[in-house]
Amino acid sequence: MAEPFSSTNTEPPAVEVVGLGKNYGPVKALDSVNLSIAQGGYTVLLGPSGGGKTTLLRLLGGFIRPTAGKILLHGRDVSGLPPNQRPTTMVFQSYALFPHMNVEKNVGYGLKIQKKTKTDIAASVERILSLVGLEGYNKRMPHELSGGQQQRVQLARSLVLERDILLLDEPLAALDAKLRKDMCIELKRIQEKIGITFVHVTHNQEEAMTIADRIAIIADGKIVEEGSPREIYERPQRKFTAAFVGENNLIEGKVINVNGDGLTMDAGFAELAAITKKQASVGSEIAISIRSELIRILDGNDGQAEGVQKIPATYLEEVYLGLTTMHLVRLPNGVEVAVRRISDDDADFGGTAGQEIIVGWNREDAGVHTD
Amino acid sequence: MSALLAIRDSLMGERGLQRWAFYIPVVFMALFFAAPVALTLVWSVFERTMFWMEPGFTLAAYENFFTSARAENYVYSMIHSAVAVVVSFVIGFPIAVFVRRRVVKAAQHRVILLFILPFMISELVRVFAMRPVLGRNGLLNTGLMELGIISEPITIILFSPIGVVIGDVISFLPFMVFAGFLAMEAVQTYIFEVCDDIGVGRARTFRDIIVPLAAPGIFAGGVFIFVNSLGVALVPTILGGPGAVNAGLIVNQAIVALDFPLAMAISAIMLLTLVVLLYVGHRLFDLTKILQPIS
Ligand SMILES: Nc1ncnc2c1ncn2[C@@H]1O[C@H](COP(=O)(O)OP(=O)(O)OP(=O)(O)O)[C@@H](O)[C@H]1O
Ligand SMILES: [Mg+2]
Repeated sequence: MAEPFSSTNTEPPAVEVVGLGKNYGPVKALDSVNLSIAQGGYTVLLGPSGGGKTTLLRLLGGFIRPTAGKILLHGRDVSGLPPNQRPTTMVFQSYALFPHMNVEKNVGYGLKIQKKTKTDIAASVERILSLVGLEGYNKRMPHELSGGQQQRVQLARSLVLERDILLLDEPLAALDAKLRKDMCIELKRIQEKIGITFVHVTHNQEEAMTIADRIAIIADGKIVEEGSPREIYERPQRKFTAAFVGENNLIEGKVINVNGDGLTMDAGFAELAAITKKQASVGSEIAISIRSELIRILDGNDGQAEGVQKIPATYLEEVYLGLTTMHLVRLPNGVEVAVRRISDDDADFGGTAGQEIIVGWNREDAGVHTD
Repeated sequence: MSALLAIRDSLMGERGLQRWAFYIPVVFMALFFAAPVALTLVWSVFERTMFWMEPGFTLAAYENFFTSARAENYVYSMIHSAVAVVVSFVIGFPIAVFVRRRVVKAAQHRVILLFILPFMISELVRVFAMRPVLGRNGLLNTGLMELGIISEPITIILFSPIGVVIGDVISFLPFMVFAGFLAMEAVQTYIFEVCDDIGVGRARTFRDIIVPLAAPGIFAGGVFIFVNSLGVALVPTILGGPGAVNAGLIVNQAIVALDFPLAMAISAIMLLTLVVLLYVGHRLFDLTKILQPIS
């Protein structure tokens, strides 16, 4: 991975947290988190509700104080600094505009506080409003704007401060699905244009996949896993990630045999072979994951191919979802498994309820999770 | 017979009951709100008789008011009341903000309810209790003299306009605390976080954000205090002195002198004052716009 000509080697990361912890009374919202975020990218903190995403973001922004650990922003320890003295600025989940100020005043207020001249303020506001696609909205009041527009104003109010790290706490959560998708692309475009570091919190994985350069999964106050969207989606390392991201089918069991490039797991009803470089000792509990689009219902010929893991199952039902159709089958151990196919790809794919079938997957497509 | 039954049904049936439920407030408002206002206006132009008045139309009462010292006293009373409002705001609104911002959520309402306690004491007693505090040899003067802060007792704080303002503030301060507390509901927590993020100082946040957002509530509390300071005769009766009367006391004096049209005319002028005040407040704060839901 050595990149001798890359300047990123000499620049400190935009965000570096070490052993960061935060307790609310007895609740451990964040538990010794270590995380490093490079400058100038779009990072998404993804995780289930209550996982500690907001807590982490608010610690970075300086709105709350850590119980343990430290925070370095651009290599500088900011632990004692209030929000306005950090290189961060925050976009809040609620439409957090000043309700009594119009768009222009909302956006310009930060500059007014910095005692910029009226002409400077007007010029900056104009520039930022056009960046976020709100030219001509200067005189509108917040209640005269749609949710999406209000979030753009909030974005503008933060960007106008020209700080180096933008924190966004579920900025799109209140928007409908279509608008959320558009705003995702828009946010990404803005980030690429101005090149500052964006740290974006969400529990919506589609949003995360669309927007992120890097994703960090947070759950139970810990960073579970980090990687590019593709890595997180296609090669989740931890069992939690596999269960949380995408539509993975998880089969649990005990390791009964380990060899150089793989292992065999006893799932109770069958022995499954998997390819992995991970270390797992015989007898340990593991899980094998296979995404719903990579598992197939096999017919006679398909099952003969090299490297295919086959298991018996019972067909349950099909669920038409538009582009794809999901076929639900039950494994002998009672676990329900989803098999997803492009709809109408082959019309007679599937089966009738209760029919005994064989499902299978290519062994290299399955993931192995030791924790 | 069937007609009677129909009437009974329409009154007692389910729809009839609903209609009554709707009319009860209307009747109540007409009886106890609109009627006194109308009577005040009508009686103010009646002819004065020895012990009561008789129907007629004369502006004598108004003329009497505007050509006597009463008009001047009325204007002073308005000024004193305005001062009481400002002092109440300066003391009361920060209390409201403090309770909202610094007291744990669950305890906030209880703390605010504490401000009701003084209302449990008869207003007469409450205002009267100010005398031994503010008097020449009162607690305040003796205390300040013992501390060596003053050498002569301050006499301007009792039986004077200042005494009346102090009495008004002490009597009506809770209105500002309540109204301010309720108004702070319009100032959501995120506002303070945004201010921290931008780096808006405390004074600036108060001036640019909190006060404008809470303005309708502050205004409502202010109107309450103003109206009471102007109208409650008790305070100047007990704490006032020469030249320290309010509109309520002027009305009282007119009633004692059995000049009912004059009393009504002054009341009508008070009413007009209030209407103008409300109108100005409405234009100033654009209440409807500010009260629009945020999301
Ligand atoms: N002010 C607080 N007081 C007490 N507990 C809190 C407070 N804020 C958060 N918590 C707790 O800390 C944990 C993490 O909360 P946090 O808000 O960081 O989660 P989140 O990942 O942002 O969740 P969501 O997706 O629902 O916003 C939760 O268990 C929550 O109940
Ligand atoms: Mg959150």
